[in-house]
Amino acid sequence: MKTTIRIMALVFAAILVVSSAACKKPADTTVRLTDMTGHEVVLEKPAERIVALSAADCEIICALGAGELLVGRGEYCDYPEEVLNVPSVESGGTTNIEQILALNPDVVVMSSMAQTKEQVRVLEDAGVAVVVSDAKDIAGVYSSIELLGKLLGKDNEAANIVSSMKAAFDEIAEKKFDGTQTVYFEVSPLQWGLWTAGKGTFMNEIAEMMGLKNCFGDVEGWAEISEEQVLERNPDFIVTITMYYGDGPTPVEEILSRPGWENVTAVKNQAILNLKNDELSRPAPRLTDGAKMLYDFVMKSEVAQKPAA
Amino acid sequence: MLEIKNLTVRYGDLAAVDDLSFSVSEGQWLMIVGPNGAGKSTVLNAVSQGAPYTGSIQFDGKDLSRTSASERARSIGILTQNHYVGYAFTVEEVIRLGRYSRRGGLFSRGKPEDSRAVEDALDRTGLTELRRQSVLTLSGGELQRTFLAQVFAQDPRFLLLDEPTNHLDLIYQKQIFALISEWLKTPGRAVASVVHDLSLAKAYGTHALVMHHGRAAVYGDIGTAMDPEKLNEVYGMDVAEWMRGMLSQWQ
Amino acid sequence: MKRVGEHFGGWIYAVFALILVCVFFTCVCLGSVGIPLNETLRVISDAISGKPSPEAYSLARSVIVPIRLPRVICVALVGASLALAGAAMQGLLKNPLADGSTVGVSSGASLGAVLAIALGITFPGLPFAGTMITAILFALLSLLIILGLAFRLDRTLSTNTIILIGVIFSMFASSAISVVITFASQHLKSITFWTMGSLQGSSYRNALVLAATLAVAGTVLIGLSRELNAFAVGEDNARNIGVNVRRVRLTVLIMVSCLIGVCVSIGGSIGFVGLVTPHMVRRIVGPNHKRLMPASLFSGAVFLMLSDLAARTLFSPRELPLGVVTSMVGAVVFVIVFFRTRRR
Repeated sequence: MKTTIRIMALVFAAILVVSSAACKKPADTTVRLTDMTGHEVVLEKPAERIVALSAADCEIICALGAGELLVGRGEYCDYPEEVLNVPSVESGGTTNIEQILALNPDVVVMSSMAQTKEQVRVLEDAGVAVVVSDAKDIAGVYSSIELLGKLLGKDNEAANIVSSMKAAFDEIAEKKFDGTQTVYFEVSPLQWGLWTAGKGTFMNEIAEMMGLKNCFGDVEGWAEISEEQVLERNPDFIVTITMYYGDGPTPVEEILSRPGWENVTAVKNQAILNLKNDELSRPAPRLTDGAKMLYDFVMKSEVAQKPAA
Repeated sequence: MLEIKNLTVRYGDLAAVDDLSFSVSEGQWLMIVGPNGAGKSTVLNAVSQGAPYTGSIQFDGKDLSRTSASERARSIGILTQNHYVGYAFTVEEVIRLGRYSRRGGLFSRGKPEDSRAVEDALDRTGLTELRRQSVLTLSGGELQRTFLAQVFAQDPRFLLLDEPTNHLDLIYQKQIFALISEWLKTPGRAVASVVHDLSLAKAYGTHALVMHHGRAAVYGDIGTAMDPEKLNEVYGMDVAEWMRGMLSQWQ
Repeated sequence: MKRVGEHFGGWIYAVFALILVCVFFTCVCLGSVGIPLNETLRVISDAISGKPSPEAYSLARSVIVPIRLPRVICVALVGASLALAGAAMQGLLKNPLADGSTVGVSSGASLGAVLAIALGITFPGLPFAGTMITAILFALLSLLIILGLAFRLDRTLSTNTIILIGVIFSMFASSAISVVITFASQHLKSITFWTMGSLQGSSYRNALVLAATLAVAGTVLIGLSRELNAFAVGEDNARNIGVNVRRVRLTVLIMVSCLIGVCVSIGGSIGFVGLVTPHMVRRIVGPNHKRLMPASLFSGAVFLMLSDLAARTLFSPRELPLGVVTSMVGAVVFVIVFFRTRRR
């Protein structure tokens, strides 16, 4: 007798829970969004198990306060440090769909690449929603933040981040330099062939925003350039994003020691900034940090140089 | 000149040459005959130090395994049956390589006697006209003559031939054997050759070594060693009858 | 009767030297930054005599002397080394498709360099040389492994065994590079740039290392021309005419490994030069190594200098990876030479 009553009570409770959930759902939880490749995505409720393949998306999701929803990350996601505890999957050209499916996500966030279309089809056939973010400039970063905010049901947080980013950039743009000073962005050091960031990169956009001239603004995208050209263009500032692993000369010391570079203004003034953590190369909220660091660095050097000049 | 004692060459468990002894003296032409797989070519490989062996191979009383490659080449010249040259060397360049073992020091430009030996070898083999031609464009007979000329230029005292006229037309077979027999006329020289053709062996050889299963079935001067009875046993057929039958086609 | 010697006459060497000097000066005078000829000559002569250059020439001085000059020298030496190594290997292995990378030393050196980058290997007192030294050590280590394995399989160290082990080792080293890249993802950037090959940032110190290696290995290899001829005609024939085949083969392989190891460590893997230069040169001067070796040496230097000039200037300020240019230019030149010599 007793057990029958218990079972009936359980069944009743279960029905109650299910029906109440069913009543609420259509009202407010359906997420409809168009991702940055124009692809429509519909989810019954905000994403709860997410795999983010690109480092930038990973950062944005954490900045939105949804880091704990990540069940997987691309292998190059390294910021903030907590994401390193999330299981990583092969990403990029060798994206491993099986690894992703094994994590049982309801959404995969990836960036646009050559292989993306095919990968999206495979994932969607397996019943996983795919959202593609594809920021090519700062406005694009705002869009991807808003997109991911919508996906996670955190529109307000997204709006906050975007507005604080805008405020930070506005602040920099307001007191910008006079456009006479030049900066050279070094993406890969001399030893491996010099690579720089030209037109259409975040570094270029941010330099322009703060009234600095990118030495290689005439070059499209990321490009390998001649060492001689750097000397001829004689930048006032050098920003290197080479990482330092704690052995041998630091990237700044290495640039200072290059033969033939001693007449470059930036080298003469030791005006070399090392941004070690992709602050200026990743379409994520930290772009403002990188921009501030660059602005402060140029400002400080100016103050230091002016009286001397 | 060449003295081989208790020669054994093993390929894995198989003894390709099994406890073989023979010798060749000045003026002799030893014909090594026997059915396929008897170990004839392996003997030559061992003499050229191209195969590991046990037993002793001596030339003029010196152990060949202890003589340097170039000293060996000054004593023994080797002509093989197949040549595949990788690049378009000229006939003369290939013949000149025969002088390698008689070279001077590093960077030496060659001595006058080198050129004389090359000219002589070209002349003897009738290749003077073809000296500038690429060896890739030669016929089989011309190529074999080129390598024979190389051995001549090498100027050894002993010639070792591994089926030198295999794949060649009758006319070239005759040419090569005539050239070698001419070469042998100079005193102090000797020849050992592996041949398939028993009538050629009988026509040019002074001695014969009939091999069977890596051993010497018969060994001695050509008349006694090429004994029909023994040959029949080794080849498992009536050799003389077969030869006669072949020849009778022409009568 | 005109006697044609196996060697080049002195006047041919004079022509080679003249062409080499002309190309060298062209490459030093032309570059991504245009510098007038008189400034170029002035800053070079100033640098040699140790005088300071006029203030107006400071850009010329800092472009030509510390950057362009050592780079062109390094390019010439790398080109010469790769072509000479290729010629020696094509002769030794009697295979026109061989080159310095056939024995697997090239991939071994690459693996060493990639490991050095991934693990951040440095040597005390030589702050910038970590990658280079590791690459050279790995080149020699690879040769030891390859020869050791080959010797175990086949005590006569036959050509086929060495090629087989070399190819297997190359594949192993390439996959090991992939494994290292997978695990060292954060260092990936420099690794991928590195494997594309670049002679940017070559220093006089690099030039010195290259020149010393080439002086030793080049002399030995050219001194072995006669033996290489014998190998190119056939290995058995070489043994028959009295070549100590094992010793010659070992010497050639060790010398080639040193050349390749040093080149890879300084310039990354630059393809095509070692394969195509000797091939083209052979069509012009014939297969005799007494002519082929010196001619390959000069042609390799000239070919790579011109390729590097194209890489530096064609899309200035951008720079093309040197390997891309060598493959493109090399393929075109090869077809031209092929048809020219065939028509004759």
